[in-house]
Amino acid sequence: MNIGKIHARSIVVMSILFMALAFSPLVSSFPTGISGVKDSGCNCHGATTSDIVVPTIIGLPSIYNYSESYEVTVAFTGGPSTIGNINLGGFHLWASEGELSTLDATVQQFNPSEVGHTEVGNDQTTWTLMWTAPASDKNIEFILHTNSVNGNAGGGAGSSGDEWNRISVKVSAPIEVLEQANPYVVLSTLIVISAILLAITVTYIFYRTNPDSFNWETFEPWIVEWLTSTDHKKVGTLYFLAGMFFLGIGGIMALMIRIQLSVPGNDFLTQDQYNQFFTLHGTTMIFLAAMPLINGFANWMVPLQIGAPDLALPRINAMSFWLQPVGALLIFTGVFSGTGADTGWTGYAPYIVSETAHVGTTMWVAGQLMLVASSTLTGVNFLTTIAVMRAPGMGWMQMPLFTWSILVANLMLFLSIPAFGVGLVQVYLDRVIGTAFYDASAGGDPLLWSHLFWYFGHPEVYVVIVPAFGVISEVIATSARRSVFGYRSMVYAMAGIGVVSFIVYGHHMFTSGMSPTLRFVTMLTTMLVAVPTGIKIFNWLKTMHRGSLVYRTHTLWALGFLITFTLGGISGMFFPSMAMDLHFHESYFVVAHFHYVLVGGTVFGFFSAIYYWFPKMTGKMLDERLGVLHFLTAFISYNGVFWPMHRLGVWGMARRHHTYFISTEEAMGSLPIEAAGWNMFISVSAFLFFFSNFILIANMIKSVIRGQKAPADPWGGWSFEWMTSSPPPTPSFGHFHDGVWSDLPTLKDANEDHIANEPSAVVKWFQSLMVLDDENEEASH
Amino acid sequence: MFHHSFWYTSKEGEEFENQDGIEVGVFPKHNDDMRLEVAWTVLPFILIIYLTYISWAPLDAVWTSADGGNHGYECGLSESSNNQIDLDTGIITSECYHILEITGKQWVWSFNCNPNEDSWTGDTVPDRGFELGTNLCDVGTIAIEGYGMQPLLSLKAGETYLAVMQSEDVTHSPWVQILGVKEDVLPSHQTTLWLPMHDVSESMILCTEYCGDAHSLMSAGLSVHN
Repeated sequence: MNIGKIHARSIVVMSILFMALAFSPLVSSFPTGISGVKDSGCNCHGATTSDIVVPTIIGLPSIYNYSESYEVTVAFTGGPSTIGNINLGGFHLWASEGELSTLDATVQQFNPSEVGHTEVGNDQTTWTLMWTAPASDKNIEFILHTNSVNGNAGGGAGSSGDEWNRISVKVSAPIEVLEQANPYVVLSTLIVISAILLAITVTYIFYRTNPDSFNWETFEPWIVEWLTSTDHKKVGTLYFLAGMFFLGIGGIMALMIRIQLSVPGNDFLTQDQYNQFFTLHGTTMIFLAAMPLINGFANWMVPLQIGAPDLALPRINAMSFWLQPVGALLIFTGVFSGTGADTGWTGYAPYIVSETAHVGTTMWVAGQLMLVASSTLTGVNFLTTIAVMRAPGMGWMQMPLFTWSILVANLMLFLSIPAFGVGLVQVYLDRVIGTAFYDASAGGDPLLWSHLFWYFGHPEVYVVIVPAFGVISEVIATSARRSVFGYRSMVYAMAGIGVVSFIVYGHHMFTSGMSPTLRFVTMLTTMLVAVPTGIKIFNWLKTMHRGSLVYRTHTLWALGFLITFTLGGISGMFFPSMAMDLHFHESYFVVAHFHYVLVGGTVFGFFSAIYYWFPKMTGKMLDERLGVLHFLTAFISYNGVFWPMHRLGVWGMARRHHTYFISTEEAMGSLPIEAAGWNMFISVSAFLFFFSNFILIANMIKSVIRGQKAPADPWGGWSFEWMTSSPPPTPSFGHFHDGVWSDLPTLKDANEDHIANEPSAVVKWFQSLMVLDDENEEASH
Repeated sequence: MFHHSFWYTSKEGEEFENQDGIEVGVFPKHNDDMRLEVAWTVLPFILIIYLTYISWAPLDAVWTSADGGNHGYECGLSESSNNQIDLDTGIITSECYHILEITGKQWVWSFNCNPNEDSWTGDTVPDRGFELGTNLCDVGTIAIEGYGMQPLLSLKAGETYLAVMQSEDVTHSPWVQILGVKEDVLPSHQTTLWLPMHDVSESMILCTEYCGDAHSLMSAGLSVHN
């Protein structure tokens, strides 16, 4: 059997497994479980409905009056039920609203929305009962099941030969209520539509690359090659596609959250749904959108920038990627079954191990564990690659800044994520086999989770921002036609952020009852983060000084980044100041701050990266006019979304609250009346921001199909990626022959006589030690 | 930044000038200035130290000791806190304080003006031997727009309270909006929160540590009267 067939078969098996993973929870667990007769039918009287039984329901109005009681008669005709049988039949009635109650002994009430016949009422074909209408406007649905029995149950033949059927009746409110969509259905539909659109786009791009051979014979090896590739560029593209896809999904969830919050006291999402939506929005955006986008660019650019043919461990790289969709499916399993994780992305203990947390939380934890494995492998891979595969002539201090940022980010991730993994395993064991790591009543300590999570969580937010620093350094320097100002202080600043990130996490726990001394220490260290970040911002500005700035879309995004990131940084300085944090903690001010740094920082940085490196990645130029349009619409609407949130936070709007109420009087109620207007403004801006990003998607698709051909170095950068053709060949550099790489590029240095290249006193001392060792060794021989 | 982005725009359009002789495959010339870089490392550092210093006083005030700190010791029978506000710093000091108890559970706050020693599992509340009068501390209910019937804590202006807090199930956190403070309520150990009530007000206490389904409706009223 040839290798292609093996590949094709493994693809088929994999896709079946994926589909099974996605759909099995849908089949086996309806929200809150299959709730008896209403959903499953009278299956004790036969497997399916039967047309010969005709249920009727009499006495219901077409439009009800508030709180009025109606006498309802349910009946049926047809079927095997004939007078003289031991039993005639039974019924089950469910009402979505209002209250059902009994009038006589033939009917029993299971709960206010469900009634059925009793043992006494088994020998009838009509029953009467009472329904009380609700006091407000609702669309009401009744579902009636009746079964017609042949009465052989007493004769030992059970219910064989019985028939049943169901009808559904709708009753309207005095004031018409618009049918409200089920948010789950909306979300699931949009996810499926996004997936289909992605598939169509991929197919269409395949078609356009070679319209003559659009058939399965050529498509199959093409798609198999993409799905099984270990080439850093292909895996990078896969990461990129996954990241963009989940950015969209996370965006859809954000929009649904914003619909819910657009007016006070809204009930578009129930509390339960809202809790799952913000949990999954956070998880998706951080772990399934930001991280893959970063890894996509890291995969693409790191080997190219350091002049390496590929990553050090290409298969491990492919594995890191493929763990992500599996993890994503596990995380989303809960949503499709209606009981997704509802813990917030921080998953605070003991709630996460309590019985009130949803079942889907277990799957969420399992999915997160997959992502932990993926990130660890990625860390190993990039650290190895950058350490050993730099081109000749490229010392540590000659690496492009983007590569430096990836090195720092992966080092942080690699050192911090084990703590998260340990916490997740503990939670998983607590939830599944009943250990008591976090159960306070059994001596567990819930605060342990906060420590483990934030020991990881704080470096994690720097892991997603530092690569954006790298991108901005490249873009600003190239656009200003200058070498970046203070290359070495840029590197030290990034390393400084990496070191400081591990000693500041306490500021997430200022309100957890920690010792005032530690609060002071954390306050100081947290404020210190501003120093290296400030150095970077000043250096970027100085890079522009006396440069000749060429305005491209990526330049605009980089300048936009400087504005929003600085604003986000300033709002961040409010939190370490303890007295302010006590008010702002878990308020909308926090939401505004981290969206300013994560969207205005990471996402803007990566939009800049898309415009900067897209020509290199695809060999096609992006449309500049569409790019500028995208920047203007997205930048303005983005600020419209997140700027007013600062004010809402100061007013007292709490984060993770599914709704809020405004108050006209000064006295009671948490928010002033203007809060409603601002929330509506935020929601409208959120829609604009979401849809403005479609300009980018359209731009990318358009360029891939009929963009201008890109030259090798369209912007005039210096690093190795601009040396290869656009798109680069495989392997990216050099030739492999007889187990040896040849023709790798060599980095020249324009400042041989610059003071930076003279070894410092410490280095000289260190070198003298090394030489001494060698000499000693030689002497001993 | 705005200045730089417009002033140093490329004058030659597409024919961009190459300031530092950037060339592919060559590490560009260093462009740095040690004095400038040191300056914008040291200046923000000094600023940070200053900011930390000015944040220190409120930190001390918010977590002052319960044994002779800003709020003295626990009040005896019919003693009053007579708290004073320093208008420059906003820091409140008192002669003594009263202890009350806040308990969080899914999804309701409960208050106890006379904490019972036996109700605590770990740390104990010292038995003061008398009960707080209802003018000092009272618990009732109140209807709040949108939130329905909620517990109400009535306190007296000019009095300082120390809330000892614990949770019966998961982590909660009362946000006393009028004071702008909050502190987590944990099932594993007891936390405390100072409530120095200086002015007459009516406000709300919300829950700000995610605790499950009805988290957003877990609230209480706080009324401070004369």
